[in-house]
Amino acid sequence: MRLSETQTLFSRTMLDHPDAVANPDPALAGLFAGEEAILPARLKIYRNNILGSLTKAMQATYPLIEKLTGEEFATGLMRSFVLESPPQEACLARYGAGLDAFIETFSPAKDLPYLADVARLEWAMNEAYYAPDDRPLTPAGLQNVPLEELADMILPLRASIRLLDSRWPLSAIRNFCLKENRDERETLNLDQGGCQIMVYRPGLSADIVPLESAEYAFLQAMSAGDTLGQSLETILKTFPGFDFKGFLQKHMALETFSSPVANT
Amino acid sequence: MKNPAGIGLRHAHYKDVIETKPAVGWLEVHPENYFGGGAHRHYLTKARELYPVSFHAVGLSLGSTERVSRDHLRQIKELIEIYEPFQVSDHASWSMSGNAHLNDLLPLPYTKETLSILCRNIEETQEFLGQRILVENPSTYLSFKSSTMPEWDFMNEAARRNGCGILLDVNNIYVQSRNHGFDAFEYLRGIEGRHVGEIHLAGHTEQEIADGSTVLIDTHDSLVRPEVWNLYGFAIEKFGPIPTLIEWDQNLPPLSTLAAEAGRAAAIIRERALPHAAE
Repeated sequence: MRLSETQTLFSRTMLDHPDAVANPDPALAGLFAGEEAILPARLKIYRNNILGSLTKAMQATYPLIEKLTGEEFATGLMRSFVLESPPQEACLARYGAGLDAFIETFSPAKDLPYLADVARLEWAMNEAYYAPDDRPLTPAGLQNVPLEELADMILPLRASIRLLDSRWPLSAIRNFCLKENRDERETLNLDQGGCQIMVYRPGLSADIVPLESAEYAFLQAMSAGDTLGQSLETILKTFPGFDFKGFLQKHMALETFSSPVANT
Repeated sequence: MKNPAGIGLRHAHYKDVIETKPAVGWLEVHPENYFGGGAHRHYLTKARELYPVSFHAVGLSLGSTERVSRDHLRQIKELIEIYEPFQVSDHASWSMSGNAHLNDLLPLPYTKETLSILCRNIEETQEFLGQRILVENPSTYLSFKSSTMPEWDFMNEAARRNGCGILLDVNNIYVQSRNHGFDAFEYLRGIEGRHVGEIHLAGHTEQEIADGSTVLIDTHDSLVRPEVWNLYGFAIEKFGPIPTLIEWDQNLPPLSTLAAEAGRAAAIIRERALPHAAE
């Protein structure tokens, strides 16, 4: 058998139903030295290594999912995801996109309607964590801009910034999960309303900031590449009382905007 | 290199390594962990100021019939330019097939066909990176009927054909000898010393499997076994003071345990390496 066929067959067996390992395809079984009886257990070592390491990588990316659903449920979910969508590149930091959509089709999760949005939050935090390093726009960087040019400026968001809009209280869910020594009887009200948040990377780890609706809409407009002037015009139609000055102060402090490359 | 014994730099030890500066000669990292940006690169930059670093890639899938990913190579090259590793390596195994990366070091038949595929991929990698790489002998749990040569001949031949070096994992040799029934010393005697550029040491686990037989698994989760130290001493006598790495990936111990294992390797090099062997 050609090496390409061997690798295709082996790979397919690893990502197939466990029966494929317990009763291997004779074409695969015939490739290996030693007694045939040892084969299922040896193939299983590989299957366990592959699925175990990928499942573990997913669990590391989605810790809140595990806190909310328990280890057994989370392992089952991640394993099902791995079998359906194995990584397409050898960089596990970028593996796990699309778990939110997968959860929506995963029948054991049908009574957990907030879970997909928690996955969206965790993926956004993972992307923020591994985002390229870039320099923030500083107040000094803005000071040099003549006032009449300000409206025409495009302020790109930092590579780590992600904006999320959810009908579930994601900040509260996250705080609930992260709270240490939580009383077992403590519960969380999931009907307290949705939220709009910004994921960013202050220092070396990702974090979240709640946003007002107007602020969220403004950042959305800016992330779409609109100029400051255009963004402001759009926002003022829906939110006539939008406090631009307050917005700018808050986001200069959070270092939301990236420094233009030429600006040193 | 003043101290030829190094350790793998792992996430959980970042701060400890930078603050306590353990007495090891160098650090090894998987470049794949530094793709993108952020915290990992911050710590690697700090660590690099203190130690020489080598890159041990796990994602090139050099044994795949598909070609090596250009995108993967490009990212490794970018990191090489930043961190200037003194050595770059990957494995004589495969993990990529039909657009799926299986994240494991999977076994190859040792045939002429495999050699030509592996060598093509090594050559493309060396050309792209503009430097020689080392290729590591794997641990495997299955062997192929179609193999026409022992693993040591396969490794020598790969190195001879395109000038890459061998990263000799002595723990893997021990694991292979037990799993596939050959003499590990014969393996070491069979390896041509001029190719050996680095040695790896690690712990493994004995696992009894369903059919009642025992398989050794390359788990990197414990101290180097006495049998492996024994082989290592022999390897150092034969190959000279080769840079040696302690690998530990699961159930990470305190940094001091890793440093002590590296210290043991350094002591063996001092006692047993013959200067003339280091050609």
